Amino acid sequence: MQQNDGMTLIVKTVTRISVWMILLYGIYIIFHGHLSPGGGFAGGVIIALAFLNVLLAYGRKFTSDWLNISFLHDLESASATLFLVIGILGISLGGAFLANFITKGELFALLSAGTILPLNIIIGIKVGMSLFLVVWVLAGTKIVKGE
Amino acid sequence: MIVYLLCFVLLLVGLFGVLTKRDLIKIILSIGILGYAVNLLLILFAYRKDSVYPILAKGKEVAQMVDPLPQALVLTSIVIELGTTAMLVALAIKLFEKYQTFDISQIRRLKG
Repeated sequence: MQQNDGMTLIVKTVTRISVWMILLYGIYIIFHGHLSPGGGFAGGVIIALAFLNVLLAYGRKFTSDWLNISFLHDLESASATLFLVIGILGISLGGAFLANFITKGELFALLSAGTILPLNIIIGIKVGMSLFLVVWVLAGTKIVKGE
Repeated sequence: MIVYLLCFVLLLVGLFGVLTKRDLIKIILSIGILGYAVNLLLILFAYRKDSVYPILAKGKEVAQMVDPLPQALVLTSIVIELGTTAMLVALAIKLFEKYQTFDISQIRRLKG
């Protein structure tokens, strides 16, 4: 671990512990989107913040080794397509765009509310990846120091 | 009534920043404050006294709820604000690359 890359050792150690908790919290918010406040967008933002934590603490080079950036890019594009696929499946099986075609389950159960849960997961991936990639691209701009 | 006035004061704070500040980053932050004031106003319009949040939870009795429509609207508005802010920051970085400054009084000539 190079000392001059990223922030100090204290920040790196805290980030190493806390990033998994932040990721877990984001996944929790996404999975309970149909039961409690939250959902795909809020959980996706929290997941993006977990990755940004690593980017801020460890620097750009470590993050590009740790995460496969081009894979994240593919994941972001694929999630939009998956949303469309579920919407068109609603046309063929349910009669309208985004109509529910799987069982609604029991009220207040985790696996309930039909297609809302998979759609929330897809939105969470989309928002998380795109928000992280926006800041990744903005942080990668080479800026010459001003006079 | 006082909350609407305070919300308007927040809007004026954002407008003050947009009109008087010279730093591009401060202008972007002021545009953010303007957006927050508008979002807050929409949420305040939907608020009813002594009513609960519009989510049916387990073991919760059905009571008088606030209007959920502006809340869904504001969520969309927040997303769009995020996109516009990212674009403004990208434009500010491009301007800095070209003019080496964030001061808008220095950015006046076509250069390069």
